[in-house]
Amino acid sequence: MTPSRRETLQWMMAAAALPLARWTPPAMAAGHPPPFTVVVDWPAALPPPPPAQGYGRDPDLMAPKVTWPLILSKAQRATVDLLGDLILPADERSPGAGTLGVGAFVDEWISAPYPTQRKDREQVLGGLIWLEAQSRALHGAAFAAITPAQRAGLLDALTVTAPVAMMAKPVAFMDTLRHLFVLGFYSLPEGKADMGFIGDQPTPGDYPGPSPEALTHFAAILAALGLAVS
Amino acid sequence: MTAAPFDPAATAADVIIVGSGAAGGMAAYSLTKAGLHCLMLEAGRDYDPQAEVNMFAPESDAPLRGASTPDKPFGYFDATVGGGWEVDGEPYTMREGTNFRWYRSRMLGGRTNHWGRHVPRWGPYDFKPFSRDGLGVDWPIGYDDVAPFYDRVERMIGVNGGRIELENHPDSPPSCLMPPPKPRVPEMLLKATCESMGIPVRTAHTAVITRDMPDKVAPRSACFNATPCTRGCTIGAMFQTTTSFLPMAKATGNLTIVTDAMVSRVTMAGAGRAAGVEYVDRKTGARHQVNARAVILAAGTCETTRLLLNSGDGPAGLANASGQLGRNLTDSTGASFRAYVPALADRPRYNEDGIGGQHVYIPFWLYEEQKRGELDFARGYHFEIGGRFGIPPAAALPRVWGAGLKKAVRTASGATIGMTLRGEMIPNKDTYCEIDPGVRDRFGIPVLRFAFRWSQHELNQVAHGRRTAHAVFKRMNATILDPELPPEKLITAGGEIIHELGSARMGADARSSVVDSYGQTWDVTNLVLMDGAIFASGAHKNPTLTILALALRASERLAARFKSGAFA
Repeated sequence: MTPSRRETLQWMMAAAALPLARWTPPAMAAGHPPPFTVVVDWPAALPPPPPAQGYGRDPDLMAPKVTWPLILSKAQRATVDLLGDLILPADERSPGAGTLGVGAFVDEWISAPYPTQRKDREQVLGGLIWLEAQSRALHGAAFAAITPAQRAGLLDALTVTAPVAMMAKPVAFMDTLRHLFVLGFYSLPEGKADMGFIGDQPTPGDYPGPSPEALTHFAAILAALGLAVS
Repeated sequence: MTAAPFDPAATAADVIIVGSGAAGGMAAYSLTKAGLHCLMLEAGRDYDPQAEVNMFAPESDAPLRGASTPDKPFGYFDATVGGGWEVDGEPYTMREGTNFRWYRSRMLGGRTNHWGRHVPRWGPYDFKPFSRDGLGVDWPIGYDDVAPFYDRVERMIGVNGGRIELENHPDSPPSCLMPPPKPRVPEMLLKATCESMGIPVRTAHTAVITRDMPDKVAPRSACFNATPCTRGCTIGAMFQTTTSFLPMAKATGNLTIVTDAMVSRVTMAGAGRAAGVEYVDRKTGARHQVNARAVILAAGTCETTRLLLNSGDGPAGLANASGQLGRNLTDSTGASFRAYVPALADRPRYNEDGIGGQHVYIPFWLYEEQKRGELDFARGYHFEIGGRFGIPPAAALPRVWGAGLKKAVRTASGATIGMTLRGEMIPNKDTYCEIDPGVRDRFGIPVLRFAFRWSQHELNQVAHGRRTAHAVFKRMNATILDPELPPEKLITAGGEIIHELGSARMGADARSSVVDSYGQTWDVTNLVLMDGAIFASGAHKNPTLTILALALRASERLAARFKSGAFA
């Protein structure tokens, strides 16, 4: 793939504005190359997390409480909400994850003082910084200010199956963020309704088991797999 | 629950019971009904499921959506309080190269407040393993000795299930079991697939009641097919001592419970006779000595062993003339396998809650092949199975965003199946617990140090389990989601399945064992062990039903000895 003159100019301008920017000829890299030739560096270091306490081994289970301060800045939170509405957008079944407030859950998660969450903090904070810089390098504006098509281009590059080496960390960031949005969204009533989840209510008496419709469908599965009813 | 009609300060207790979990709860229930005055000491805090179990709150009410953390390893709403893999101020240590995990709760009811509730009976081979394959030791008792107690325990705690009709998987006589729930679609698919391959799938035996159990003191209601059992159960459908044995025992007027009582050692009245125990009040740090005519240790396998190792005059501990104390420690093997099943994608929705956990499971089915020498491991394993509507695991979702991701979640919900292996570990000389010579807990009590090693039997067993699970998945055209790992990495850490057993094993004589078949220590006539410490071997089957049956048998034997004047 030879970059067009326009793309080359774009890259040269961006590279001049951002000394961290690097370029690897796509043909020389293993994996799926991004549709752009400028990839900014992953941030070298993050500020240490502020001191925070977990909820302890014996919290009051009747009155659950988050015991740590949230760490996202207002601008970062706005970007996360925007990403939420892109990752899980509104449709006829449910609202967008950002609009629904799942960004608050992402903030709660990456602010928590536990090992898994601390690791995800590195991913998500690092990724947000990278995304801003990448957006500026490519389009000369913050992620929140670029066009929907430009955002889509970035998200496409962050969700390829096999990224090239220089995109590995950004793609891992999007993996983490995507999984947090899936967990945060589908554990809410709106998300359960979206999945068609039925349950979480007392059903006194013997458990009724699958519905007639589910049983009919199951019979078709067995037939397709060549299995006998047992 | 700590206020009591019977005052041990005014009346000497007949029996001190250390621990309030499965074994301690059974002992208290059985002995108080027999008219004996019991003083129960529980290291953890008082706990009232009625007031503290948040049964219906959605996970979205909990911090981090209820995700596992070091503070709450089984999720925010899990019943375990004040403990987990770590207990503040109460460490344990390990020999170099050992990875052992010790799950302790510090609460009334112990680990019955959170447990798997899968309660298979052990079979004839499980009590006589040496006779079958020449490894380990035989128990001094066989299945027929335990069977009548299994019958009674199943009725006492409430178990639902069906017939198994397989070698070494004894069935319960009529009237022992309550009706089981119907299987769910993923379980029906596993059954059809496995049975086409000669692998049996049977109704699981689960300690969740499907019929009411009326009682004047502690009535229990049939499961209403909602809410996770591991949170504890305010309606008493799931067996836990805090909603059954303990209130029932208290109602006799013969039981006093002291919580926050961390027992440090058994005190002696003379050679071969226990006087009582010493304990530390966890709130004040004050030390107390209490006396009784007999002492029962039911603190949990390793805690019971630690107590004995910290008692007596010498470094070998108390009741350890055999030298077996701390040795023969086992845990179950564990490994998990998972697949995405396209055939289950977008299937019709219905309420798939049912009773907590699996409705059917895969018992070990290869005893004949094993006897013919066709397997590269001794002893068995079983699969516990899962598959339900819910949020699909990340591994089952494609790397997409936007409308495609929403669609993928809907499609994959209810389309993954899990097979979880639980297998038998054979005792080996490199696996044991001992007192750490240099480390004490915050009460000044010396702590346990663990040494742990899986043998090739366990590694081969887990490798066999993986081949089986993957073959089943392939037969249903599923996509396997497991990472490629060798069995050494696939197998759980020692202790992680929370089936520690055997560190004060029973036997036919005082030379080779710590206790007799009634848990009575050979060296101290009025000291009885009742928890998993006394097991002569593990089995692939979950141990709690057998712990309860042996505790009932031992309690009745102890009551009979009281009646005959043995402790006068």
